Amino acid sequence: MFKKILIANRGEIAVRIIRTCREMGIATVALYTLADRDSLHVRLADEAMLLHSSLRYGDADAVLAVARQLGADAIHPGYGFLAEEADFAERCAHDGITFVGPSPAITRSLRNKLEAMEAVKRAGYSVPNCVELAVGAGDTPEGGKEEEGKKGLSEAYLKQTAAEIGYPLVVKSARGGRGRGARLVLKADKLVEAVQAAQREATLIYGDGRLYLERVISPSHYVAVQVLADQHGNMVHLGEREGSLLRQNQKLIEESPAPSLDDKQRKILWTMAMDIARLFHYQNTGSVEFLVDGAGNFHFTEIKGRIQIEHAVSEMVSDVDIVREQIRIAAGETLSKTQAEIRLNGWSMQCRINAEDPWNDYLPSPGRLTRFRLPQGPDVRVDTYGYVGCEIPQRFDPLLANLIVHGDTRDACIHRLRRALQEFRVVGVQTNLPLHLQILNDPDFESGRYDTRFMEKFRFDTKCRDEEVRRDLAAMVAVAFALRGRVGKPMVPETVRTGWHRSARRLPV
Amino acid sequence: MNKLTVTIDDKTFEIEVAPDRSQPGEYVVTLEGQALHVYVPDYDEPDQVDWMIVDNRPYEMVFAADLRSVQLEGGRHTVQVRDKETHSIRPATGDGRIKAPIPGIITRINVEVGQTVEAGQSMLVLEAMKMENEIRASKGGVVRQVSVKPGQTVTLNEALLEIE
Repeated sequence: MFKKILIANRGEIAVRIIRTCREMGIATVALYTLADRDSLHVRLADEAMLLHSSLRYGDADAVLAVARQLGADAIHPGYGFLAEEADFAERCAHDGITFVGPSPAITRSLRNKLEAMEAVKRAGYSVPNCVELAVGAGDTPEGGKEEEGKKGLSEAYLKQTAAEIGYPLVVKSARGGRGRGARLVLKADKLVEAVQAAQREATLIYGDGRLYLERVISPSHYVAVQVLADQHGNMVHLGEREGSLLRQNQKLIEESPAPSLDDKQRKILWTMAMDIARLFHYQNTGSVEFLVDGAGNFHFTEIKGRIQIEHAVSEMVSDVDIVREQIRIAAGETLSKTQAEIRLNGWSMQCRINAEDPWNDYLPSPGRLTRFRLPQGPDVRVDTYGYVGCEIPQRFDPLLANLIVHGDTRDACIHRLRRALQEFRVVGVQTNLPLHLQILNDPDFESGRYDTRFMEKFRFDTKCRDEEVRRDLAAMVAVAFALRGRVGKPMVPETVRTGWHRSARRLPV
Repeated sequence: MNKLTVTIDDKTFEIEVAPDRSQPGEYVVTLEGQALHVYVPDYDEPDQVDWMIVDNRPYEMVFAADLRSVQLEGGRHTVQVRDKETHSIRPATGDGRIKAPIPGIITRINVEVGQTVEAGQSMLVLEAMKMENEIRASKGGVVRQVSVKPGQTVTLNEALLEIE
């Protein structure tokens, strides 16, 4: 087993990986940038090294240099950044450092999503209809006039290609993940704009502007099967997850098992996922992802060859530590459980708590956490890098915490999640906690009858309908006003125009 | 004794607040013909107050620094307070200046000085937290001033442009 693992990531996933390493008796090396020096992963690691690179956690040279310098014998990439980078995995091997993830060859065969889909189609499975855009990986358009002259993005070419696929379609990054760079296009007149925006975002996030068009299957469900495969030919699955509740292509709530499937469908899907993973001789942890259409047909989309943000719901129902298995597999050990030993138990759900403002267009909300009270009690888990006093940086993804609960039934799970959301208190940054609370009270969500269109119909509305609460609130506002006026300078406004709030803001020093 | 007019969203209350002399942090609040007993455990740090007990009902809330809004039980409510003795009132909102809602980097500017814009129209794009955030016009009018350039880093509440 490894002696020391470097975690080439930040945020809640870095904390998550460090926890398992410590439980396994493996020393940890954390990386950090000046912007997130405050994050919990830096404090929990055995060693921590400042990254000076402008590429931050995605800088392969800098990460490898630290690993060599501090004598790490393995690197865990988490998700994003250097995960699913075959070149990086190859360089690790060259330096005698184990990359915790699939081999470079497997990653290459999955990374080109179109080729992977083609291979799966040849094996007799259904995949969505899609076509790659002939745009070079190095193109980095800025929305200016020059790029319109380029062959790859000419309007005529795009419209012709799109017509072959049919509308509505989605413009996707060939490298993508997490829905970034993806744009839904309903009609031809929005196509060029969407391609430009998708390419800008894909270039910004992945450093790779290659795109493809995919015919939309709607309504649909996003379902993924969590698989684990060791180097000795053993493979198990940990059931499926559903992540159909999305806002702007970002998953908000994930659950396991999938409420949209019945037990018969589930078993078919598990077998299908393992067979597809075997086509690629898959190793390490992976999510075999499918779209499920209205008629209940499965369409393979991709295998995510890394740990997923929503991995914890699978851990909760299977009682398997996926990070531990990842590390064991990378070290050449066998899976710790056979399929027969894995019992899928009850229901689990996860809310992604983002530092963003649901009352202000979901703009990111960086800042310092002045209060941060985590929900506790039975079967509640929170993975976060935050704590009181921690600075939430503006530079990175707004994901602040994953709140995960477990219950015997889906109903029990929803009740537990609701009370955990009510307990979770964050002051200093705005979060989407109120949005999650409202979704959990939605009848369609409660009944489990929702699909990827849920948020289109959903209206965020937090009006106070309880007159007693509103009266109490008025009383508390009056007291707060009186308190602020009493302490320090008395409240004497200069003129009516300047108003009380300026004097109030000045207080107390 | 403070005599206040407090508006929560669209409902206005006439309120009297008097400290309860027996215990620091305790207040008697009279509104709608009834007296409520409000306890503020953190009364000595008024800008840190995040919970109170009204009679026997505990509440957790977050007051905006300028007391113009408050969050309670998953909702956010607009607040107006008028002090009847000093006749102070908060000024009308919106002077036409568009300010940065978050710190970040200006990536694109979609309008020019002199251009007529409609409410909701995209004005510029601010990149923060790896997301492109469109800043839209809060009202219609003519762009009088653009104070930033693409590539420029802006701080929270920095004035970006002005609409008249």
